[in-house]
Order: sequence, then structure tokens, then C-alpha cells
Amino acid sequence: MSSESIKVTINGSDYQVEKGARLIDVCRSNGHAVPSFCYYSDLALQASCRTCLVRIEKMPKLQTSCTITCTDGMIVTTESDEIEKARRGMVEFLLANHPLDCPVCDRGGECELQEMVFDWGGLEERFRERKNYAPEKYLSPVVANDPQRCILCKRCTRVCDEWMGEDAIEAGGRGVNTVIGTYGGWLNCSQCGNCIEVCPTGTLLDGTYRHQARPWELEQTITTCTFCSDGCQMSLGSRGGEVMRAVARDRYVNGINGEFLCIKGRFAHPFVNHEERLRTPMIRYRKGGKLIPATWDQALEFAANKLRETADAHGAEAIGVVGSPRITNEANYALLKFANEVVGTSNYTATDRFSLAPFFESLGAGLATHRDIRFAKTIVLVGGEPEELQPLTGKQIRQAVRNGGAKLIVINSRAIRLQQQAAQFIHIRPGAEDAAVLALADERFDELAAKKLGVDASELSTARGTVLDTEGNCIIMFGGELSPAAQSLLAQIPHAASTDKRRFLFHPLPLYNNSVGAHDIGLMGGAHTASSLLGAAGAEIRALYVAGSFLPDHLRGQEEALSKLDLLIVQELFETETTRYADVVLPAASFAETDGTFTNNDGLVQRVRASIPPAHQSKPDWMITAALAQTLGMDFNFQMSASTVFRELAERTTAYNGMRYPLLKDETKPVQAKHAIAPRRDLADEIEALRLSIESLDETAEKIMGTPPVGHELFKPGELTGKVPQFHLLAAGNPKPPDVLISPLYQITIDAGLRRTDEAVAVAGD
Amino acid sequence: MFIGALGCEPLQLARVNLENSTSLDVYRRNGGYEALRKALGMSPDDVIAEVKKSALRGRGGAGFPTGMKWGFVPKDSPKPKYVVCNADESEPGSFKDRYLMERDPHMLIEGMLIAAHALGSKTCYIYTRGEYRYLIEIMDRALVEARNANLVGEKILGTDFACEVHTHTGAGAYICGEETALLNSLEGLRGHPRMKPPFPAVAGLYSCPTVVNNVETLTAVPDIIKMGGEAYQKLGTEKSGGTKLWSVSGHVNRPGVYELPMGYDDMEKFIMEDCQGITKNRKLKAVIPGGSSVYIMPASDILGKDVKMDYEGLVAAGSMVGSGGFIVMDETVDIFESTKNLTEFYKHESCGWCTPCREGTDWLVKVFKRIAKGEGQPEDAQLLLDLCDNIEGKSFCPLGDAAAWPIQSAIKKFPEDFKRHLAPMVEAREAIAAD
Ligand SMILES: Cc1cc2nc3c(=O)[nH]c(=O)nc-3n(C[C@H](O)[C@H](O)[C@H](O)COP(=O)(O)O)c2cc1C
Ligand code: SF4
Ligand code: SF4
Ligand code: FES
Repeated sequence: MSSESIKVTINGSDYQVEKGARLIDVCRSNGHAVPSFCYYSDLALQASCRTCLVRIEKMPKLQTSCTITCTDGMIVTTESDEIEKARRGMVEFLLANHPLDCPVCDRGGECELQEMVFDWGGLEERFRERKNYAPEKYLSPVVANDPQRCILCKRCTRVCDEWMGEDAIEAGGRGVNTVIGTYGGWLNCSQCGNCIEVCPTGTLLDGTYRHQARPWELEQTITTCTFCSDGCQMSLGSRGGEVMRAVARDRYVNGINGEFLCIKGRFAHPFVNHEERLRTPMIRYRKGGKLIPATWDQALEFAANKLRETADAHGAEAIGVVGSPRITNEANYALLKFANEVVGTSNYTATDRFSLAPFFESLGAGLATHRDIRFAKTIVLVGGEPEELQPLTGKQIRQAVRNGGAKLIVINSRAIRLQQQAAQFIHIRPGAEDAAVLALADERFDELAAKKLGVDASELSTARGTVLDTEGNCIIMFGGELSPAAQSLLAQIPHAASTDKRRFLFHPLPLYNNSVGAHDIGLMGGAHTASSLLGAAGAEIRALYVAGSFLPDHLRGQEEALSKLDLLIVQELFETETTRYADVVLPAASFAETDGTFTNNDGLVQRVRASIPPAHQSKPDWMITAALAQTLGMDFNFQMSASTVFRELAERTTAYNGMRYPLLKDETKPVQAKHAIAPRRDLADEIEALRLSIESLDETAEKIMGTPPVGHELFKPGELTGKVPQFHLLAAGNPKPPDVLISPLYQITIDAGLRRTDEAVAVAGD
Repeated sequence: MFIGALGCEPLQLARVNLENSTSLDVYRRNGGYEALRKALGMSPDDVIAEVKKSALRGRGGAGFPTGMKWGFVPKDSPKPKYVVCNADESEPGSFKDRYLMERDPHMLIEGMLIAAHALGSKTCYIYTRGEYRYLIEIMDRALVEARNANLVGEKILGTDFACEVHTHTGAGAYICGEETALLNSLEGLRGHPRMKPPFPAVAGLYSCPTVVNNVETLTAVPDIIKMGGEAYQKLGTEKSGGTKLWSVSGHVNRPGVYELPMGYDDMEKFIMEDCQGITKNRKLKAVIPGGSSVYIMPASDILGKDVKMDYEGLVAAGSMVGSGGFIVMDETVDIFESTKNLTEFYKHESCGWCTPCREGTDWLVKVFKRIAKGEGQPEDAQLLLDLCDNIEGKSFCPLGDAAAWPIQSAIKKFPEDFKRHLAPMVEAREAIAAD
């Protein structure tokens, strides 16, 4: 890349700018305001709103600064009577058919069109004709649409296409009748709502927040999303102790995701104020009896006594402590400290679906950030389905390919949607991901792997060739399909294949918002996994202290396990399959009510901030654990401050050494954990073990055909709406009045084809 | 209706009046495909050089030098290259391309093949407006004949030159005559213009180097090759070589398609003698000489003014050659009404991509309609001009300018026609003031 510098003169001042810089950016970064609507960085240029006009010497007409690449010696004027007239003319045109109904528009107060008009003031309306009319409508349960306010900047259609690859929203009609619409009248998509976010006007609006509040009534709290391992930054808007909405608008928050969020981040927040939230601590005084509300003192006392009894009778190792990949690092750290220092047990773990421990132990290169993904040269994706499970990663991959020309290699048992962007798609037999890793790492196994994968050996060597031809960053991503040995082998590839010109970076695809943090803290390094703890329940394990709940996956086939325990203490938001057997239930605060940190799949340690006070009598998880420790006679000395907890955990967690809350305060400058790079290792044992297990794979297994539909994981009822921690309400239906949607997920999955049913319309349109 | 040449030997119109003029046989007996044979014996660079020498300027409206445009195509690009014929001819007043294709389809095929040879292209598309479907049938029949005669396809005329020609119809949008919107439409996308640069010559159809030329531009090519660029240029003027077709319509006694040498002298003679004067012995009021998108000329700018009919001559006289759609209006025409009609056309055809054209044309039409209802305010003429000023030079593609120009020139040159329509309100106001 050339960083040659050239001279540009703007309004009489000279600036040295990088060759190839875009004029509008140069003007703005040097303090010369230029209005714009259609320009949106990192989306295809549109040049249609014509508000960014400037005068450039030697050019015949006013030019759109959003499309101009600076050249040496360019002389630019951004302010003059001529330019002002032109820009005012454009805004006047945009307002001609606009209903001017700001007082009843949800966007009022945070509308770019409104701001532009305020900025100039004194716009006299010359348009005295009848305005063109188009009725308000809903494009889906979560996307409300008032077409009259549209300025046709087409940011919405571009994010839908370029970010999401879904192309569900497009302009129809022609001329002044052009209208943003859908195919078939209904948004057939993942319902991410990014079109709402980027809309500069009140045309596309959050259908669940419609007419609920004015933006200036909301308190904005910058925090980290709680739904997947990408860790998007968002701003929760709350009023009077209620979370009203989640947005990523750049006027409030500027994190790794820009203005991107997925359906979960943007719309699935109503669980926070859900009426089924646990209100008080509860005690089940006798097995099989009812949970009876209790005071905190009673519940902690009860739990402490029972723990003491268990330890006295069966020893400390009979007590298991279970954290969660969904709660904060502070909460998990408190639990680990509790296990180590209060109980003295090695039986601790977190309820994740798979462990990244083998990967991190063999880590041959650092973790990629989402920015690295956007600008990668080559991306290898083994297993996983980021467009569904880590939607921001999915978007970054798509843009890396479409806007950045990256080469994507997809190795998957299904033709996942991202495969459409792939330079190479290797369609393998289900469950054979390990074989692909073995071949990628070691060409001696091409033939064996190809046979088991059901592909041609040349496909594997082509993929390896692409990786080895990379100049720049090559990012390796993998899902939960890999065995521990395959994780190690993959993690070591950089040692054999990096050069001066080629850097490897990893992007693991765990499922939960704090999967990486739970690993980093050391919680995944206990003597058990979640499933094996359940297996030992009633035998060597007599008591469990669980923050969050076991996943349906863990309980499958071991439904009785929890009932065999002498003691089960559960910290939860809702009643779940796990609390059904609990002797003590402690109401926990949700992510919106607590301070803390989550570590995302980039290894970025990002702040979680309380937007509202904890609901009812709930408390942050780490506080509950500290209180239980206190009851058992140990003072954690956290001084009621999450910051203090973090300080201690950062001191004791090598990768986090040196971090403090003040360092993490700015979401625009996220801080990455320093995961230790493992030296080159002899992997003969792993390779042999892999070879043996691959030998036993079925060579006749059928491949899975067809591309999974948009939203099949995002909306999966079993995952998102089962009574798993923090998602219960999604199964609970619609407890608010029928015209408000508590959970878009519910509304959408109820009708599996994502198509409008009459019922849904009635709900959405009323 | 007259179809023929004046002031020169017919080139473009040499065969249109022959019997069976669409047949390959007639075309060949009249010198057809000789130019192709000659061109295939020349190097591509030499062909381009001849076209440059001919001073041929694009006949689609913009008048861009054709040889120069061909020269912009990167020779070393590994991508396929395309030649696209713009047969969208949607501009009100223009109907010359239609006659060329209807009566002499092989001339277009030959022109495209020569262009393809010059540009290293193996694929050509003829894009016509949806309403010209019957022309597609004529073109397709001619293509079958040409293919059977080994003029299209592999090993053309026994050489190594291979080229396919396909026809394609639009779906009825004026904007799809704009070359980049045409390419979008050809690719199956929404018909709206693309950002330039990159120009089609560098990144056009499917992002590959593409030359888009008007029908009449391409049909000029065989004669240029036959007679040589210099001889062709000499038929016209130094900067505008050759002959030009004018689609003459309106209040003249002999409308038609006229082939005139560039620089034809002069417009008054052309109207009054060649076109046999104004119908019903009325007086000439105005001429729109280059299709609806150019400035309107009042009779006073034509009569006795010796207006030369070429690019420079018309600019000097305050208008443009455009697509050569020559619309003549007699004294009975209300220029307010004719301008309103044109504005409605532009509003209807605005693609809606950019703010000024989309909103501006709608607003303009609303003002025109209000004035027509007798509700015009005295300041409306100024409002119309101001709206035009806010559109002109600020739109994404030239359609916005094309909508503004007729209004600007109409108000300037025919103020009485506007004043008459604004009179009721002026009088009403005066009456109130007098009370
Ligand atoms: C709104 C608009 C409509 C146009 N319509 C036509 C058309 O119908 N036919 C045409 O040949 N060129 C049309 N053009 C011009 C083309 O963009 C382009 O300049 C032309 O096809 C180039 O061919 P030429 O160099 O042979 O003239 C139009 C341009 C604009 C802006
Ligand atoms: S709906 Fe919003 S984002 Fe989309 S084109 Fe209209 S104003 Fe722009
Ligand atoms: S000027 Fe703008 S709206 Fe009009 S046709 Fe061109 S691009 Fe479309
Ligand atoms: S911002 Fe440049 S044209 Fe819209």
C-alpha cells in the first residue's frame, strides 16, 4: 500500500493527505463540514442524495465530494453562496414530499434529516402542492415503515445486501414513485434490523419500540451484547428502570460492530424487564417440596449451612461449582475464587458447549480482531456457521470478500450461506471436520482425508495452495465440530506456514458471549466438564453451586442427575429446568443491570455496564458469590465494586495482566487480552490419534444437501427459547398487551417459514 | 413522409428505399459486407485510426468522438470486451434508428462486426427499447441470414475472426438509453445509471471493457471503412465528419428522416424548402432541433440567421444537435403547454436515483399543472427557473439537465406564453389591491 502524501487545498488551507483519500473524509477530518445522507463508509458509493456538493477548481460543475478521490494540487471550496444554494435546494427537494411530522416520529431528536434542517434554520417552505401519499406499514413484526419520510439514500438496501447478504429490501417503482420495499410485501430475512439502524430518517423504525418513548427521554448506556461471542457494542436506552431498546447508532456508541447488530442484540432485550424474572431468593425446605420466598439472609444462611454439612460429610471435593459462558468475567472469577478459596474443590467448570482449552494451549498465533477479518487476504472457515451463530463475524467475512477481495475457503458439511462468497467450498461429510484439519496441516493425509470427507484430494491441495499463496493476513476460523486433537493441530499451523509476508491469525467461533472469558479465567480447567459433573451427581458429587443453568444439551439423557444431589444452589434470572431441582434459588441481575466485562472471540475484554438497577431483589452474580463466601466466613474484600473484582482477576490472569476498568472505558479502543503464544510442539501423538479416529469414519455417509435457511440457528427455538439461562422469555410468549411484541424471535419462529400469517399481521399492524 | 438524403449522396439511407431492403441479398448486391471484408484485412489499430480520421461523433446525443472512445478500450485487458449497440431511441422527437433497423438491418450488423474486430470483441449486443419488439424480429431474421452466410459466428468470411451478435429488449424506460443504465438493464439489474468513472470503455458490461454506440454511429462505420476516414470527414466539417440523420416531425409539410451533410446550410432553407414549409401556411414559431432534451429555438433565432446544421452551428445558435430529433412548431403552439408536456415526460422517466431529478421533476410538474388550472402565482415563473437551477448540473446523470433545459429556454424565449397562463392570478391580485 502506498502512503504517498499529496497536497489538497480546502477553503484556502493546505493539507497533506494520503494519496487515494476520499475528499469528503478529508474535508471533515480537517474541520470543514460537508453534509451527506447517502454516503456511508464501507458501503458501495451511491452518490444519489447530492447534498455533499463542493466546488473543485478546473471542474465544470459542482462535484459530489463523496465520490471524489483526492489528487495532488486539488483546490476545493466547501462554502460559498453557490454551494449553499445547491445544498439548500437538495434539502428542500427532500422535504418536498416529506410529511414534516417530526412531533410524532420515533426518530425525532435523532434524525439526520431533522438535524440538517435545524443546522441551516430558516427553511421557508415553497412547496405548496399536495404531497404524495403512501401509507404506513409494517415490513415485519420488528420493522415499521413510513415510506413518506424516505429520502432514498438506500443505505438500508445496501446494508441488507452488502452486510447481510440477504437482499430482502430493495427499491421498487420509478422516479418520484420509487419506494423502499420488500419482495412479496414482507421482509423475508434474518430480521437484524440493520436497515432501521442506518436509516437517517424516520422511514424504517423499530417496530417493537414504536411510539414507546422519545429518544431524549432515554438514558443511553454503552454496553456489550449478551447474545453471542462477537461482543457487539450497543447502547441500551432505558427509562424509569425499563430497557426500552438497544441500538448501535453511531451518535451513541462506536464499537467493533459500527452500527451493526443482529436480531438478538437489537430486539431480544425484553427478557430484562420480563414479568417472569425471579423476584426474591427462594428456599426449598424439603426435597420435592415447593420453593418458598425468603430473605437474602435466610437464603444465604440456608445455603451456607448445607454447604458446610456436605463438606463435613463428604469432603470439599464433593462440592462442584459451575459458572457460565454467559455471565461476566467478574462473576466467573468470584465463582472460581469461591471454589478454590472457600470450598477448596477442583470440581469447577462452566456450562459451555465445547471447550477451547486445547486450542489455547497450542495457540500458534494471535487472535484476529473483527477489523482484521474485514481486511484479511485469505479466510479459512472450518465448520461453524458464523452468519447464524456469530453474525458480526459473518458480516465481516462477507465484506472482506465483497468489498476487500479476500479469498474465502469454506469447509463445511452443509452449504452454509457464506459459501456463496467462497472462492472454494469444500463440501464434506457430516462429522468429518477433523479429517479436513489433518489434511490442511499435513499433506501426507490428503488421500485418507479425501476418502473420508467425500471430496477430491485436489480440493484439499488447492485449499492449502491458496493459504500458502497468501500475502498478508490469513485468518483461520473454526466451529465447535473439532475434536481436542484437531484444535491443537490447527492451532499449530502458523508455526509451519507463516513467513515474512504471511501472517496467521485465529478466530475461534465459540457460542457464547463470554466463552473465551470463562476459559481465560481458568474456569474451564477444572477436573470436570458440565456433562461429567452431572454424570457424577449423587455419586462423588453431592452438592452443586451453579450460576446460570445447564444447557439442554448437558441435561439430555441425564435428566435425573440434578434430583440425585443433596444440595443444589442456583443463581438465575428465571425459573429453568435447573432451578426445578434447586434447594436454594438466588435471583441474579441480568447483563443490563450489572457492571463487568465479557471477553469476545477476538480476545477483546469489553465493558458491560448497568443500564438500570437490578430487577426486584436480584443482585449481580459476583456479589451473590461474595455474600455466600462472607456467610461462610471469608471476606473477598470486593468492596461492592466490580472494578475491584476485575483488578484482582486481571492480576491473577496472565492474559489480562495490566488491565483495569479505566483502560477499558472507551469502546472505540478495545483492549485485547494477551493470550500466550505456545511454542512449536511435537504433535505426533495428536496426529496419530486423529489418524486412528479418522480411519474409523464412515466412508458411505450421505452428505447433507441444500443451504440452511436464513435464521435457522438464530431463531432456533431449542437453543434460544428453551428455558436456558437468559432466554426463557422467548418461549414464554407475549406477556405484554397484544400490540407490543415482547419477543420478535417468538413471533417469527411461530411461523417457521418466516412468512406473514394473518395473526402476525394483526399483531404487527395494529 | 420523406426518407432520403439532401445535399449529399445518401450513405446511411442508400438502401432504405430499395425493394426487399432488409434482405442480405439486396444488401450484398449494393456493396454490403465489403467494408467488413476490407476491415478484416486491416489491423484493429488501423480501423480505429480510420474512424478517428473520419471525425465521426456519436449520434446518440452527446456527440462524443467515436474514434477516441474506441481508443479508450484497454487493449491488454485479459477480460472479454463487448460492443453494445444503443438502440433504445426513447427521446421524444427521434425516430431515425428505427428506420435504419427496420429497413437496413445488415448495415448495423456490419458496423458492429467492424467495431468488434477493431476492439477485439467476440460478443455484441443490440439493446432496443421494449416498444421496438418488431424491430428485434427484423434484426433476428437478418442475424440468421448473416450467420448462414458465415458473416456472424466462427471464422467469419474465412478469417479467424469470430463474433456473436445478440438482441435484447428493454422494459420501457427512457433512462435505459443512458449507456450505463442500459448496461445495468442488460445485466438484469434495475435500470438506473452507474457512477462514472469508471467509464464503460474500462468497466462496462459485467465490469468488462465495453463500447456503447448509437445505431447511427455504428451504421456510419462501414462507409468510413469503404471510403476511408478522410473522405468521410470531408463530407462534413472539420470537427463533425460525414452526414447526419435528422428526424423531422411537427408542423412541416414533409416530415421524415433526412440525411444531411454535417454543416448543412442553413436551417431556414431546410425547413422552408426541403421540408416544404409550415403546414397550412402558418408561421414558424419554434424548433426543438435535437430531440426533447435541448434548448428550444424561437423562429427569430432561425429565420435570416443562417444557422448551420452541425454541432458547432447549433451551439452558436443557442441549442444543440443532440439526437437530431427536429421538432417544428407553428404559431398555434402554446409553448407553456408543450413544455408542460415535456416536463411530464421527464417526471415519468426520472429513474428516481438522485434527489434533484426525482423530486424536482415531480415538483415542476405539480407547478405546471397548477398554473394550467389557472392557479398560477405571479412568482411561479421564477419558482420554475429556480427549481431548474437546483436540478441543472447537480443531478447524477444528464436526464436531470435534460428536464431543466427545455423549461429554462422556454421561459426565456417565450415569456408571453407563460405570462398568459399566470394572468388570472395576477389580475385577481390587482383587483384585490384596487379594492
Ligand atoms: C437520459 C439519457 C437517455 C439517452 N438515451 C439514448 C438513446 O435512446 N439512444 C442513444 O443512442 N443514446 C442515448 N443516450 C446517450 C448514451 O448515454 C450514450 O451517450 C450513447 O449511447 C453513446 O453512443 P454514441 O457515442 O454513439 O452517441 C442517452 C443519454 C441520456 C443521459
Ligand atoms: S428507508 Fe431510510 S435508509 Fe432506506 S432509503 Fe429511505 S431514508 Fe434511506
Ligand atoms: S438525473 Fe438522477 S433520478 Fe434522474 S434519471 Fe438520472 S440518475 Fe435518475
Ligand atoms: S453524500 Fe455524496 S451524493 Fe449523497
